[in-house]
Amino acid sequence: MFINVLSVSIAITFLVVVLELVRRQRLREQYSLLWILFSIVLLTVSLNVSLMEWIADQLGVKYAPAVLFLFGLLFCFSLILHLTIVITKLTSQVLRLTQEVAILKAREALYGKNN
Amino acid sequence: MKTMKTMKTLIIIPAYNEEGSIAAVIADIRGHVPEADIVVINDGSTDRTEEIAKASGANVLTMPYNVGIGGGMQTGYIYARRQGYDVAVQMDADGQHPAKELPKLIEQASRYDLVIGSRYVESTSYRSPYMRRIGMIFFSQLVTLLTRQQFTDTTSGFRAAGRKVIDLYASYYPIDYPEVESLVYLKRHGCKITEVSTEMHRRKAGRSSITPARSVYYMIKVTFSVIMSAMRYNRTAVIK
Repeated sequence: MFINVLSVSIAITFLVVVLELVRRQRLREQYSLLWILFSIVLLTVSLNVSLMEWIADQLGVKYAPAVLFLFGLLFCFSLILHLTIVITKLTSQVLRLTQEVAILKAREALYGKNN
Repeated sequence: MKTMKTMKTLIIIPAYNEEGSIAAVIADIRGHVPEADIVVINDGSTDRTEEIAKASGANVLTMPYNVGIGGGMQTGYIYARRQGYDVAVQMDADGQHPAKELPKLIEQASRYDLVIGSRYVESTSYRSPYMRRIGMIFFSQLVTLLTRQQFTDTTSGFRAAGRKVIDLYASYYPIDYPEVESLVYLKRHGCKITEVSTEMHRRKAGRSSITPARSVYYMIKVTFSVIMSAMRYNRTAVIK
């Protein structure tokens, strides 16, 4: 039963770390929600091994932990997709700022000359 | 309708390390269209482009770092919009677009939303002109198919834009390899576009940004962007 104790403690530690990061404002709430959801699912599965086995059975998976890998992987993919969406948004915001800075700098140089 | 002389005209020249050719390009413009204002978008050059452009009498907008051709060009259109220009002409800094063709483009810009300078003299400075030709024909066919308008030179960067296009480009402009996609974008927004035949020179200095290794990426990226652009709802955030 050692593995159960281990997985429960990992899930709890993870949840605490995420909450602590949000509390210290190192992680924005909007991005933390996915992680919190993930750790709660992890905790539920760790506490309830028969649930995992039931899901594996329903899906026709012979080796129950494989279901964990499947969902873990899917979660990683969706999170990475989410991150690239965020990067795209940030890139356009930075570009817009850069353009404004270039225009303002030129205007400032012009006024500096007149004064 | 305003005549050519009363239209407030801006020439936008994006430049990245073009110290060898920028002075000649600006002098060429001054000689042919002295009434037009010139703005050089110095896209994070590491050479003396900014200094030389200023000394030649152009306005210079210097990007704090290199943002790429699309971002730089759009800066010019945002500037044109804020300063209330009637016509904005984009032109290369390497000397391949002759200023003597400018009056022709600007004159047509009073009748059309966008005027493209199309090269009938093929530029042959590139190593594999044959492949390049195939690429250009492919893009012309693709854009013609998607927009139902005949285009011969979709990759030309020699263009004059009226107020409607200045506004549209200030709101959205493709980031890299923008020429082809920007046409489809304009057609989606109901712009009237025409091509006029212009001569083009070989570049005087600098190198083409498109190396053989990049051309595959170029083809795929542009084709994908063009198709996506054609499928997009024409909903654009207006940038003041």
